[in-house]
Amino acid sequence: MKFDMDYIAHHNALTETNPYFKLFLTIIILIVTLALDNLYFDVFVFIVMSIVILAIAKINYKSYLKFLSLPMAFLVITCFFLMFFFGKGDVIYETGIWGIVVTTDSWHYAVYTFMRVMGCLPCLGFLALTTPIAKILNCLRTLKVPKILIEIALLMYNTIFIFLNEIDTMQKAQETRLGYHSYWSSFKSLGALVSTIFLRSLDKSETLQFALDSRGYSGDLPVYEPRKKEN
Amino acid sequence: MHIMEGYLPLTWCIIWFVISIAVVAFGIYQIKKIVDENPESKALLAVSGAFMFILSSLKLPSVTGSCSHPCGNGLGAALFGPAVTAVLATIVLIFQALLLAHGGLTTLGANIFSMGIVGPLVAWLVYKGLTKANISSTIAIFFAAFLGDLLTYVATSFQLAFAFPAPTFGAALTAFLTIFAVTQVPLAIGEGILTVIIWDRLKAYKPKLLDKLGALAPNEA
Repeated sequence: MKFDMDYIAHHNALTETNPYFKLFLTIIILIVTLALDNLYFDVFVFIVMSIVILAIAKINYKSYLKFLSLPMAFLVITCFFLMFFFGKGDVIYETGIWGIVVTTDSWHYAVYTFMRVMGCLPCLGFLALTTPIAKILNCLRTLKVPKILIEIALLMYNTIFIFLNEIDTMQKAQETRLGYHSYWSSFKSLGALVSTIFLRSLDKSETLQFALDSRGYSGDLPVYEPRKKEN
Repeated sequence: MHIMEGYLPLTWCIIWFVISIAVVAFGIYQIKKIVDENPESKALLAVSGAFMFILSSLKLPSVTGSCSHPCGNGLGAALFGPAVTAVLATIVLIFQALLLAHGGLTTLGANIFSMGIVGPLVAWLVYKGLTKANISSTIAIFFAAFLGDLLTYVATSFQLAFAFPAPTFGAALTAFLTIFAVTQVPLAIGEGILTVIIWDRLKAYKPKLLDKLGALAPNEA
């Protein structure tokens, strides 16, 4: 379905790289970028991380652009908004409509916010596109994040993909019967879809519990960590 | 839409993280207690979390044509209470950042506060208050979902106004409320209606479960 990012995370040149390294690198760069809040540094991070993602991790540039496009669209809108409606100080540009002006302050806000997000997005992309979630969770577990949180997250992650298949089937069935024909009927179909999934999920959770119990589940989900491939 | 990666300055990222971690830690403590008493509830919690994630990745048919999705935090709060919902929302937000590029890691604290703490808490208070007042749970769940969704965005507006208080905090707040909260009203009503449809079917098919979770109105139990 729409979870291309998960697929990419499992199939790129950096999947097998040490996840601790990737996690810490991402977090450190994010914090440094935020702390410096320097326009040149933001551009620098954007370029470096993009090169890492495209050239070293060998991720298709189309997928990378797709990853950037949704947050970018939203970013452009909010930054325009910051530019025109915020701040005080000297007026540097008058639009002439309803007295809306760009001031030095608002210009500063908009530019700095825009560049900061531009710097941070590829960092998130680096982690999200090169590291499978199971590995990140495993890292967090060894870093003393409460065990119960990690377990629930792992079980959730598995369940999400089961649900996606079911939703796909159900939605197709509803569409063939004109379930999304009008506005009101799409509401009803969506309601039926979601409540059916919820009821199914209850059954699923029971089955899951039985499956776990029958394999001697005692609150620990050992994860297989393959040894590093030798070249 | 959650606050995106890098949008907030470092100071505010840290402040929201500190607040959120305290509440989430309390939620984890609550979950531990539930799981110790009742080991099979772990699978239920996990599956409900997955359900919340799926719900937030579904597109809601919206009048304005803009793309939006239900939060799902109203339903979660009515079923499990606010503390547990905060923990589930935390995991959901991490997955959204890593699987959908929706939200981010540095703004995780702020997003947990708005979607995982304020929204569910309001929804839960509204739901409990209305059912206590002998109003049918179907009506109560509508207001819980509606206000849970809306207040999530009101909280987001407050967070953004704190981070960008220009020219004054009040002016910034009004501006952010206009974009985030007012445009969210029709979507919140949509989520309310959707939740009512879900709730009706749950009441019809699994009344015992709702009763066990203590989620029904006293006169319906």
